[in-house]
Amino acid sequence: MSSPDSIAQTPFIDPTPLPSDIPPVDEVGATSAPLKSAAFFIGAYCKEFNEDFMLCKNENNDPAHCLKEGRKVTRCATDIIRKLREHCEKEFETHWRCLDDRNQEYFRCRPLEREFNTCVWNSLKLEKVIPGTPQGQEPIHLKTKPVFKAS
Amino acid sequence: MTSTTPHTQDLPPEGGFPSIRYKRNVPKKGPSGLTLVLGITAISAYGFYSELERENMWSRIHLVPLLQAEQDRDTYRREQAAIKREAEIMKDVPGWKPGEKVYHTKRYIPTSIWVIPEKD
Repeated sequence: MSSPDSIAQTPFIDPTPLPSDIPPVDEVGATSAPLKSAAFFIGAYCKEFNEDFMLCKNENNDPAHCLKEGRKVTRCATDIIRKLREHCEKEFETHWRCLDDRNQEYFRCRPLEREFNTCVWNSLKLEKVIPGTPQGQEPIHLKTKPVFKAS
Repeated sequence: MTSTTPHTQDLPPEGGFPSIRYKRNVPKKGPSGLTLVLGITAISAYGFYSELERENMWSRIHLVPLLQAEQDRDTYRREQAAIKREAEIMKDVPGWKPGEKVYHTKRYIPTSIWVIPEKD
């Protein structure tokens, strides 16, 4: 039996594959910038699966408990990312590259974001909505004269 | 030995000494300490509040299920592999239940110490 100290020296690698009774699912594989760029569309497109998964996790935190719901979440996210790339490849790419270069702050990439959002709305009818925006206030991503903007 | 002149004692002047002026004689200026502390707190609170922050939080909230699902699959895979190894190692011990919880609860307890398979 190795002590925790020696474990820390070993890379955390276990090559054993998932048991074969678990249906395989490809991981999304996107890095943080594309995910952040697509976050609100993932949230809109996969709302049901996401909420179902989180309710399941709330029921029982065991990773084994929500594998099925988790696969649906991942398949849905893969699906919407594939669709985004199909319809708005250029806008998506320029926006996430902008985020990647600018500390992943939305406010520094608003013009590109607007193009991307318009494209997604025209092709997939998905809209970026920020829940909890105060009533009657313009959502921050639609402000024409924001306080913080790309410098 | 007796003195011929009467004693004269050093006494305070008539009506006593004037009071000693020890208080700072500076006019009060500026807001009080409490006002400053509260004011700075209010300004900081306003600075921390931003709709940009809400946007950022929601972008993360929308990604939580996706990232958690991926993490869960990996944890499950590692747990199952560990249980399999444990069963193999302890196969000669009668009554040994591989992967049995050491805690008296039905709640899931995350594995805190992972034993990583040794390389051949």
